[in-house]
Amino acid sequence: MGNNLVTVAIFAALAALPLFAGDYWTGQFTYYLIYGLFALSLSLVWGYGGILCLGQAIFFGTGGYLMAIVTKGMIFPDLTNSYLGLLVAITGPALLALALGWFLFAGRGIGGAYLAIVTLAIAVVLERLMSNWYALGGYNGLLDIPPLDIGLFGYSYELWDALPTYYVILAIVVTLFLALNILTRSSFGLVLTALRNHPDRLAFFGFSVLQIKLVVFAASAALAGLSGALFVTVDGFVSPTLIGFSLSTEVLIWVAIGGKEMLLAAFLGALLTRFSEGWLSELFGDFWTLILGLAFMASVVLLPRGLIATPLQALTRRRRPTPPPS
Amino acid sequence: MIEILPPLLDALSYILVLILVALGLMIVFGMMGVINMAHGELFMVGAYVMVVCQSLGLPFLVGVLFSGILVGLLGLLIEAALIRHIYTRTLDTILATWGLSIALKQGIVLIFGPEAQSVISPLSDTVSLGEFSYPLYRLLLMGASIALIGLTFWLFLKTDFGLTARAVIARPDTAATLGINTRSLYRRSFVIGTTLAGIAGALVAPLISVDPQMGLGYLIPGFLSILVGGAGPLAGVLAGGAAVGGTNSLLTVWISPVAAQIAVFIMAILVIRLRPEGLLGGRRGK
Repeated sequence: MGNNLVTVAIFAALAALPLFAGDYWTGQFTYYLIYGLFALSLSLVWGYGGILCLGQAIFFGTGGYLMAIVTKGMIFPDLTNSYLGLLVAITGPALLALALGWFLFAGRGIGGAYLAIVTLAIAVVLERLMSNWYALGGYNGLLDIPPLDIGLFGYSYELWDALPTYYVILAIVVTLFLALNILTRSSFGLVLTALRNHPDRLAFFGFSVLQIKLVVFAASAALAGLSGALFVTVDGFVSPTLIGFSLSTEVLIWVAIGGKEMLLAAFLGALLTRFSEGWLSELFGDFWTLILGLAFMASVVLLPRGLIATPLQALTRRRRPTPPPS
Repeated sequence: MIEILPPLLDALSYILVLILVALGLMIVFGMMGVINMAHGELFMVGAYVMVVCQSLGLPFLVGVLFSGILVGLLGLLIEAALIRHIYTRTLDTILATWGLSIALKQGIVLIFGPEAQSVISPLSDTVSLGEFSYPLYRLLLMGASIALIGLTFWLFLKTDFGLTARAVIARPDTAATLGINTRSLYRRSFVIGTTLAGIAGALVAPLISVDPQMGLGYLIPGFLSILVGGAGPLAGVLAGGAAVGGTNSLLTVWISPVAAQIAVFIMAILVIRLRPEGLLGGRRGK
């Protein structure tokens, strides 16, 4: 119960934010919300599914590029509908994840540390590939990506202004956050926890471990793809950095600092890290990255559940049974 | 025939350096189950120590020596302050050392700036190979790498230390019961691994651009070498390093760097899929 109250309070604060903050911060928080959604995708696959994907930006970037290709009409000049773009940007990364997951998990497959290294390598290779794929803008990326058009039935309403964009993104994020919450509390969520803690026992009970892994990997990729697609419509720009090493690192830090086993904490991890970065990096200059690296290290060693999840859990523990050990 | 000799020699020197880096990773991973994502940054620190030594006018060999010692000490510090606390949590070692790698990288940026530094080669002579001349330093680098790799193998395969170390790798609990101080062995092995990275960094510094991002370029091929070769016997690194380094280096010359990276990656994936224990087999099979 307490957890729900905290969630409501946080999203209410986010909804009220544009009343107090100016256009600049509203615009910034639009980005933070998208990053939060991206962090949720990693929290799902890593914190709940136990699959450490060090290259989560693979799917973010793929979603971004697909959205750009569709809405710029690069293949079909007449089909530039935003909804179509979103659909492609969600299914594309999901299919990619299915193919990749089948290759990596099937048979004796790989897991744990090996998987982490392989996904990181994929991100690095893809970044190099996109930098050299000149039809897709190469190193410079693609410019002038149109904003989201949320019109229906022939009407067109393009999201150019900061305020409507913010609320549309917030609505999407809240919806997906609630959906994920329901999902992780459902019986499927229980299966996911089992997958994380004891995959062997899960197989013993007759579940197909491969199938569950593929589902959660693809679902997380779809979420990451959607956040990438939303990002490029807001930013108007897609470039190889969205698919590669540094963004993969960043999302990992947000989720680890926030708390990977708690959706709300992972989401807040992204928001707060980005917010403090925007706010404090002027103060600390180049020291900010150093501080971030050290904070990441400290949170992994001292508070493996996350800097934000630990106090949040303490706040809500009284009424909930103790969470399972990780 | 003769025109393929320089690229082959280049490939060989790249392979040997890669094996040096991968060997350090492998000792740490095979023995303690610690994935050291900061290994590439330790390699980088080695190269920067060389930059400093050279700007102070110290001889090259002293620079190599200092790189080994300082990076080894850094490794000792890292082990005592960080790794010691997370030995039993393999996945957390990835994250913690990744944080460390970010911090080290940014530390270097703060001290030296983001731009590339250069190290002057101690030997500008070349040797002629038929119609081609080849830099002597590269040949010496190969010799030094082979010596270091041989030394490491000797240490782990022929000495008492190596015997105890292999006992700890194979059966840590049994080894501890027999009175081996596993913790101190872990610490020494970690320091050996980091020292190797530091020396490797110092040795290749004259050949590549020394910049804060250089570590990643060796870390990922290093890990792929371990994956391809197998994490069991030390010799797996030789096979993996040769396969990854050779493909990467030769395809870079013959096609393009991007094609080379993609080919190496596809090769690694195929090996993982078809032979999960790596080319030479290993622990995962047990």
